[in-house]
Amino acid sequence: MFTYLSTRALRWITGLLLVLFVSYAMMFYGTGDPIKRMFIDLREGSMTVDDAMLDKLRAKYGLDQPFPVQFANYVGKLMQGDLGYSIREKRAVLTMVQVRLPISMQLGLVATVLAALIGVPLGVAAALHHNRRLDSLIVGISVFLNAVPIFVTGPLLMVLLVLVLKIMDVPFGWKGIFHSQVILPVTVLAFSPLPTIVRQTRAAMLEVMGDDYIRTARAKGLPERIIVLRHMLRPVLIPVVTSLGLIMISLVNGAIFVELIFNIPGFGKLTLQGLQQVDYPIIMAVILIGTLIVMVSNLLVDIVYPFLDPRITRG
Amino acid sequence: MPTTSKPSPALAVNLTAPAKERSLWGTALRRLLRNRLSVFGLVIVLLFLLAAIIGPYVAPYDFLSQNIAQASRGPSVEHWFGTDPLGRDIFSRILYGARTAALVALTTTAVSLFIGVVLGTLAGFLRGRVDEFVMWITDVTMSLPGLLLAMLVNTALKRPITAWFDQMYTQTRNPAFLNTLWLDYVLVFGALALIGWAGYARLIRGQVLSIGRTLYVEAARSVGANTRRIMSRHIVPNAFGPLIVAVTQGMGGAILAESSLSFLGIGVQPPNASWGSMLADSLNLWRTFPHLMLIPAITIGVIQVAFIFLGDGLNDALNPRQSR
Repeated sequence: MFTYLSTRALRWITGLLLVLFVSYAMMFYGTGDPIKRMFIDLREGSMTVDDAMLDKLRAKYGLDQPFPVQFANYVGKLMQGDLGYSIREKRAVLTMVQVRLPISMQLGLVATVLAALIGVPLGVAAALHHNRRLDSLIVGISVFLNAVPIFVTGPLLMVLLVLVLKIMDVPFGWKGIFHSQVILPVTVLAFSPLPTIVRQTRAAMLEVMGDDYIRTARAKGLPERIIVLRHMLRPVLIPVVTSLGLIMISLVNGAIFVELIFNIPGFGKLTLQGLQQVDYPIIMAVILIGTLIVMVSNLLVDIVYPFLDPRITRG
Repeated sequence: MPTTSKPSPALAVNLTAPAKERSLWGTALRRLLRNRLSVFGLVIVLLFLLAAIIGPYVAPYDFLSQNIAQASRGPSVEHWFGTDPLGRDIFSRILYGARTAALVALTTTAVSLFIGVVLGTLAGFLRGRVDEFVMWITDVTMSLPGLLLAMLVNTALKRPITAWFDQMYTQTRNPAFLNTLWLDYVLVFGALALIGWAGYARLIRGQVLSIGRTLYVEAARSVGANTRRIMSRHIVPNAFGPLIVAVTQGMGGAILAESSLSFLGIGVQPPNASWGSMLADSLNLWRTFPHLMLIPAITIGVIQVAFIFLGDGLNDALNPRQSR
């Protein structure tokens, strides 16, 4: 158990360091001098301070150091929870993240719960009606949602609900998670992990349905409802829980689109802002946090997995 | 699946003498055409490729020409899909967007396939340390939010590639290097290829490992065939089926990724036509002019569904043993 967890953690930390190193190198060699970017006059393209001042500032922030030193400094600061200063907004990236991230996390949490509440029953129903009409309908819907990106389904739903059916006003902006405007963004965001959940549930159900202990349960004369709920659901939920990493990837990607379409000032909007303004401390922070969310979920799955499925002792 | 009635045709081909011309590919094609959904996918994908090749020549209007007097009109006889706020013909822009999408799809698939094949074969053949290292990088790449990575690469490549274009122009005086249209494409290619290779690498490695272990490869080795012959006669042809399926799905994915990046405003830049940026442009206008949003959205949706259907159909046709 201990070796299992420690090898997992080691892989996890080295992976994170690799991501940090590659993205830092890209920003370092790709975006140009951050100090110049800070003081450039955007309208005239000329500098607002002289070269001596620029050199002084570079020395002050350690930007005259070679790449390995700067990278080490960066990682050292990260350890202390310092994400650096935004070049354009000239304030700590950490405070920006603290405002933006909770909004996206609330959206993501509600969307995950919604996707699980819809996806698991759909997957179960599809498997129980294997190769019949309901099965192909559910599989068809899940293939469709998997193929069509949420920046297509979102606008299409908006046109349908606002212009054709006229049952809601344009959902625009952020008024808290309990405001009714949240319904459409959360639904659209839930579309991205939904196909994964349906597919995993259905496949696991089909596998379990042929097992001996299910036949035994049937032979005992248990009602079908009890068999599905008590005997099948537990092993079926394991692959759903283990695909948490995939679900998180789709949520992190999906947040960017949903927040752009519905103008929600969350983490995805911050990502776009950082990239459009080439604000490299923001970009680094966003990459780090996005990667952390996915990697921590994968690590959590690794930790929980042996408890969910006692047959597994190591990875 | 409709193929269950016959004994496995692939097996029959291998057993009977080659006198009866029923090639593996012919059987696969017939099996593909028997599935209605994959025929739909095939037709749409072929139309899409046709539009990409001849679209700009048959388009009723120039995709760039503006006509403010005709701005933001709905669909009509003169403008089948209507016009955008600058009076440009949307049908022509959709056709030109097909060229953008196809160009990105083919190039990124080719580049990431090349990287994936090289790394995957190395890992599968050399095993040991090399295998571990390649698979580690593959795992890390695949366990990341790929879109973030593509956006990062795109941003990081912008300045160096712009500088390189400038330098090439001063050296060669070739006006192609002044063209910023090309620059956007190169950026998108780079970003998407760098995240797309991992899936191919994993697939190729798995194929090399599993086919390398089969009895017929062992038999070939026992009669003295060398590695090159085993590679070219046994492993490559047998890995072809899964690879074609993966490439089809990968092309759909690349088209999706291109429209995602363009939708977010960091892919193909205006005035170039891309379905993603057409959709993004409509975000402030769709209440008054819903066709601006509907047409690119439906186009992206139909193309994606077509690629999925074609990929599934090819999978059933080329890998009959792997029943689902």
